[in-house]
Amino acid sequence: MGQVLLKSVRKSFGSAEVIPDLSLAIPDGSFTVLVGPSGCGKSTILRMIAGLEDVSSGTIKINDRDVTYREPSQRGIAMVFQSYALYPHMTVAENIGFGMILAKRPKAEINKRVGEAAAILRLEHLLDRKPKQLSGGQRQRVAIGRAITRDPQVFLFDEPLSNLDASLRGQMRVELAELHSKIGATMIYVTHDQVEAMTMADQIVVLNNGRIEQQGMPMELYIAPKTRFVAGFIGAPSMNFFEGSIASQHDCDALGVRPEHIGLRDDDGDLTGRIRHAEQLGSDTIIYVHHDDYGQITVRAEGNRVLDIGSTVHLTLPAEHLHRFRNGFRIQD
Amino acid sequence: MPAQRLAKLSLDYLLLAWIALVFVFPVVFMVMSSFKSDLQLLRDSASLRAFLPVGDLSFDNYAKAFQRAPIGLFILNSVFITAVTVCVSLLLASLAAFSFVFLQWVGRSVLMAAVLATFIVPFETIAVPLLLIVNNLPWIGLDGFKTSWLNSYQVQIVPFIADALTIFLFVQYFKDLPKELVEAARIDGATWFQVYRRVVMPLSGPVLATAAILKFLMMYNNQLLWPIMVVQEESYRPVMLGLQYFFQLNTAWGEIMAYLTIITVPVLAFYLVLQKAFIASIASTGIKG
Amino acid sequence: MNAEQLAARRRQNRAGWAMALPACLLIFAFLITPFFMAFGLSLTNQRLISPNPAEFVGLRNFERLLGVGLLTLDPLRDENGEVRLKGGEPEYPRIRSFTRGNPDYPRLNRMREWFRIDLPGDRQLVVLAKDLVFIKALKNTVLFVAVVAPVQSGLALILALLINRPLRGINVFRTIYFAPVVISMVVVAMLWRFIYDGQNGILNSLLGIFSFGAIEPISWLGNTSTALPAIMAMSVWQGVGFHMVIWLSGLQTIPQPLYEVARIEGATGWQTFRYVTWPGLRNTAILVMVIITMQAFTLYPQVQVMTRGGPLDSTQSLVFQAVVRGYEKQDIAGGSAISVLLFLFVLAISLFQRYLTRDRD
Ligand SMILES: Nc1ncnc2c1ncn2[C@@H]1O[C@H](COP(=O)(O)OP(=O)(O)OP(=O)(O)O)[C@@H](O)[C@H]1O
Ligand SMILES: [Mg+2]
Repeated sequence: MGQVLLKSVRKSFGSAEVIPDLSLAIPDGSFTVLVGPSGCGKSTILRMIAGLEDVSSGTIKINDRDVTYREPSQRGIAMVFQSYALYPHMTVAENIGFGMILAKRPKAEINKRVGEAAAILRLEHLLDRKPKQLSGGQRQRVAIGRAITRDPQVFLFDEPLSNLDASLRGQMRVELAELHSKIGATMIYVTHDQVEAMTMADQIVVLNNGRIEQQGMPMELYIAPKTRFVAGFIGAPSMNFFEGSIASQHDCDALGVRPEHIGLRDDDGDLTGRIRHAEQLGSDTIIYVHHDDYGQITVRAEGNRVLDIGSTVHLTLPAEHLHRFRNGFRIQD
Repeated sequence: MPAQRLAKLSLDYLLLAWIALVFVFPVVFMVMSSFKSDLQLLRDSASLRAFLPVGDLSFDNYAKAFQRAPIGLFILNSVFITAVTVCVSLLLASLAAFSFVFLQWVGRSVLMAAVLATFIVPFETIAVPLLLIVNNLPWIGLDGFKTSWLNSYQVQIVPFIADALTIFLFVQYFKDLPKELVEAARIDGATWFQVYRRVVMPLSGPVLATAAILKFLMMYNNQLLWPIMVVQEESYRPVMLGLQYFFQLNTAWGEIMAYLTIITVPVLAFYLVLQKAFIASIASTGIKG
Repeated sequence: MNAEQLAARRRQNRAGWAMALPACLLIFAFLITPFFMAFGLSLTNQRLISPNPAEFVGLRNFERLLGVGLLTLDPLRDENGEVRLKGGEPEYPRIRSFTRGNPDYPRLNRMREWFRIDLPGDRQLVVLAKDLVFIKALKNTVLFVAVVAPVQSGLALILALLINRPLRGINVFRTIYFAPVVISMVVVAMLWRFIYDGQNGILNSLLGIFSFGAIEPISWLGNTSTALPAIMAMSVWQGVGFHMVIWLSGLQTIPQPLYEVARIEGATGWQTFRYVTWPGLRNTAILVMVIITMQAFTLYPQVQVMTRGGPLDSTQSLVFQAVVRGYEKQDIAGGSAISVLLFLFVLAISLFQRYLTRDRD
């Protein structure tokens, strides 16, 4: 019921074309994450779905209804902003219930619905506070509460967790995932964060310059990126690319290998380099190896690996984990 | 070392205090003189006694001033004119600025540029043509239909309601408000007017204070040229025109001082109470840099 | 473009116009219309009350206002060709003989002498003006701007620097320095009329007291050489607090670490001002100068209340003349012409400000 369809949507700001021609189907009840480099148009797409930005052409359908020119409040969506956008002069309860107050719903109903949302988000004891008196995580929950009471078919999130610290982010990630399974509404979620994208999404849409590079399940994108861009974008640390002779050996112009798939050997391997730097993260170690022909190669090894800076290592590239690209596109095996 | 610092500190304060004297002496002189007879006033002005509450002090000047001119009426007129102008001005200017900043409509940028450009038109340069206009405007008021605005309240109010500076202050302030608040309200189903009234205005306290104070100063203090031109009837005169009464026949300085005190001290008192807001308001007009 | 899209556009257009219209209409009716009327009227011979319809006269009003002429005078000589002396000075022909219907000098007809310059060989260059009062008003206004703008902004900056220190009770001083700003210029001018008075004026007594009688009483406003400076001083007194606060807000935008760095590097007070404070105040400086200049150009209530242009036109100002002619003498066309010139000055200054602020980015 909360299916979102974008058909040939274009968007320009003045003479700058931000979204050239975009068609996208977001299935009902899915948790779709939009990722892409900064400025690629993620927020713009979200804002067009919300009706905060006009489309230059094309149509947007929510739940089979053409909403392209509907008012934001008439589209059955709710949005959670990166800055939370809580009304500073209203209490938490008023913030959550503002839409119903505007719609002149009876007081009892407002209180009931606000109470329900507050219960889901564990905000009951904060209802009389002003946003200023809340912590970042609490503010975020109020913003989500405001979205819940709208009872939308589609939730829109624009980098909702990016203002939170790492541990809180982890916690909110879990809560959002729970919320999704509890309510079952469609969620469209914009983020920069690899982990958020991989863990929360059942569908990831990778955007670049306003175009869809690839759309699919997280593991699909990880295992079989369709383009070199997606391959480099999904996964952290980024995939290594080798051009030149080793690429031609494999009959491609760029050979990609993820850092976690490269093997480290003391004796002998496909490539030989010198260790320049190593970052010990505890669970694993990121090793930066310098190779005379290919420059820097990133390798991920287990956490307890002890290495000497400057020492020579041998790297193996396992055949089953090689990604071959020509002209930026994946060569299917 | 501490002694040296103490000396420097005292010097600093001494300097500051001397400068302060320069700024207060005319006002002290005005208030003191208003309690003195003309004779004593003139005699005292030859010495520092002019600044001291010495000699025969009385409210005679005030009593006589009230006899000479209908001061109460003038004050009421000024307060009424100023209050109405300030209130309506804040309302209309904030509405216009809201529309300029948050809404997309045909002609918006042209209109906004035209309105804000009028900032550099000095009022004095348009006073006479404006006189021609208001002289021929009809008005339907409580006392019936009139073909001219001369001798009325509206002639002192309506032309001054909208001005570029007030709109500009609101535009600047609104531009700095987070856009997402407005967008969130739109998603919550607020009409544009509801966004204005329930979200933007409640957050506009600082700019309302700024605009109100500046408009108040402009209106209450500058009622000279225009009233001279458009108000002949006593019943509509503002306080600044009341001064004319004190130069007819014999010039009584004591009474003038009393009158000046009456029309100035309330503003000064108001200023002293709200001095933080006053000064902040002037400072904020500097944002435009 | 379908119907729904049109409706959405129309809704937003309607809301936008509805909210902006009241203020815009008022500005259009009471600011923009009279502004263009002033331009139009300045090209006619319109009078406030006149039996004859107004006629288009082109730029004649401006020619009258701005017309100036030059005349070189040879000294009068006696039969022997010797320069005739009068009280030890050479004697010159009377200006009237050139300006009153002299057919040899049609351009100078009805002009009046503004000032003269001595040339070598006892000759004199006389500068004449068609409208001497206007020329004096123009000169006074420019002089007023040229003196008040730098003096007032300079003093305001000094005050701001004095105030911008973490001293106990500094707020009290700030409040006092600012106080004259909230007093009406009309009131201030009245008050200072008394202060400047020649016989009973408090300024004279103060000067007498502090100089132990060395300074003689002066009729500050009754003297052609002191009247304009007196008005300038008073205007500075009234307005300096306003600009002090603008400077102050500029000062407070300069990041504190810059001062700390300067201290660590051992900069003197002056060096700190020169290399840290002043560069940080560049935009504020432009703003302050522009505001002061625009305010100073519209010099009016001081003149109206204190001198009405006198003595001997030594305090005439453009706005005062615009009002006197346009309203009191009912010469709307002449008054409008002055207004137009005034506006052009202000416009030039604000364009200049645009130019100054643009070269930065
Ligand atoms: N109102 C606007 N006017 C002009 N250009 C805009 C406007 N809004 C966005 N853009 C441009 O559109 C492009 C896409 O912006 P958008 O905000 O959608 O990027 P984003 O993918 O959300 O980036 P980020 O990850 O940094 O949030 C950018 O190049 C931006 O400069
Ligand atoms: Mg974004």
